[in-house]
Amino acid sequence: MLNVEKIVKNYGDFRLDVSFEIPDGTVTGIVGKNGAGKSTTIKLILGLIRPDEGHVYINGKEASQLSGKDKQELGVALSESGFSSYLCIKDIIVILRKMYPDFDEKFFTDNCNIQKLPFDKKIKEFSTGMRAKLRVLVAISHKAKLLIMDEPTAGLDVEARNDILDLLRKYLADNEDCSILLTSHISSDLEGLCDDVYLLNDGKIILHEDTDTILSNYGVIKVDEEMYEKLDKTLILSSRKDHYGYQCFTNDRKFYAENYPGIVIENGSIDDLILMMTGGK
Amino acid sequence: MSGLIEKDLRLTLTRKQTLLIFLIMAFFMGASIDGAFIVSYLTMLGTIIAIGTITYDEYDNGYAFLMTLPFDRKTYVKEKYLFSLLMATASWIFGMIVYVIFSIIRHDPMFMDNTLELLVMLTGMIPVVYLCSTFMIPLQLKYGSERSRTVLFIIYGIIAVIAIGARSLLNGVDNPFAGLDLALNSIPPYVILITLFVICAILTYVSYLISVRIMEKKEF
Repeated sequence: MLNVEKIVKNYGDFRLDVSFEIPDGTVTGIVGKNGAGKSTTIKLILGLIRPDEGHVYINGKEASQLSGKDKQELGVALSESGFSSYLCIKDIIVILRKMYPDFDEKFFTDNCNIQKLPFDKKIKEFSTGMRAKLRVLVAISHKAKLLIMDEPTAGLDVEARNDILDLLRKYLADNEDCSILLTSHISSDLEGLCDDVYLLNDGKIILHEDTDTILSNYGVIKVDEEMYEKLDKTLILSSRKDHYGYQCFTNDRKFYAENYPGIVIENGSIDDLILMMTGGK
Repeated sequence: MSGLIEKDLRLTLTRKQTLLIFLIMAFFMGASIDGAFIVSYLTMLGTIIAIGTITYDEYDNGYAFLMTLPFDRKTYVKEKYLFSLLMATASWIFGMIVYVIFSIIRHDPMFMDNTLELLVMLTGMIPVVYLCSTFMIPLQLKYGSERSRTVLFIIYGIIAVIAIGARSLLNGVDNPFAGLDLALNSIPPYVILITLFVICAILTYVSYLISVRIMEKKEF
């Protein structure tokens, strides 16, 4: 579905250098701190910026060469860009109807009603949550095969975030062969949605793992200084010192649970992954 | 393409109040000013409003999302030229209706005696005013709405300086264009009209090629 082959983009001192692949029917998350290169990666995939090196292929076609028809298979929600804020939903319905032959008007209007989005109000009068919901609804209303979402839940409260995640889950249930690529720095959002996760830091992918593996095998070990010295560190990915001793991030928490009885181990989460892998020493 | 035209039409209609004021002004101009000024005024206005949709597109980082919609960059540029032409033509038709109605009410002898010639001449207003788009669209795409205005002022300034300079240079000398003026007057109006359309079409095509190049290079 999507193939990113050694794309490089330089912005002054910042260098993005990534490769990855999203097979059909997969939900992939890109996580990383602000400024890690997530949005730049999305823009490169969408052909909004040109790579200095490398290629992006969507269904075998170079991303920058996609025709209008090819783009009908994409559903895109960007964090800081959408339809002109001077338009209202009534306008957008007519525009989408003319742009996408597969536009499902009933699905779109029904969901706008469920999410309490007003049809006659200009988007500039919408709240942040309403705008985010609208962006996602626009992306999923024309039976797109590949959804690309840049921070779809950024800046939203828990309720609005859940609403958006529910929309995406329902879309996935109804369109099993659809692939989704989404970025987030709120990684708990991704845990219930993504099949695999790429961790991006300073423009590079430093880890790629299945979400289930992260949740079932990864963990944070909390030990004092004395125990830390004794600890077998072969399965420790990163560690950091805190007030009480050391926090160690492992990809095999069972090994430590079995070999160090009584040791404090917390289940790993994607948040821990970001924190420990990009902020640890 | 039809989706883009729909978008621009709806963006234009968001300025209903401004449009209404312009139309009321046009009505009073038609009633109070003799001659065909109203036609050129409205045609120009329609063109400027059409080009103004580029400002809406770039506002609030809108281009990034816009370029993910199902059309390529070439189609986006094509639509801007087409929409400008549609708006110029629609405004011209409205201007003509106002002009013809008031000319008939006033029994304007200029209109009554040379109706056909005047209509042919006024049709030429469309390509002449549309030439404005061929300048404005690439400028606006390249520099954005703010900077393109400055660039346009500079271009107008240079043209004004050249015009005034040429005039002062030619002052006192036998006007070499007098013969040209005479020659132009002897050409039938429809030939001038066709020539205008052909020149406009050529310049629009060149401008379109430049705009496509600008858009293809642009990053969002």
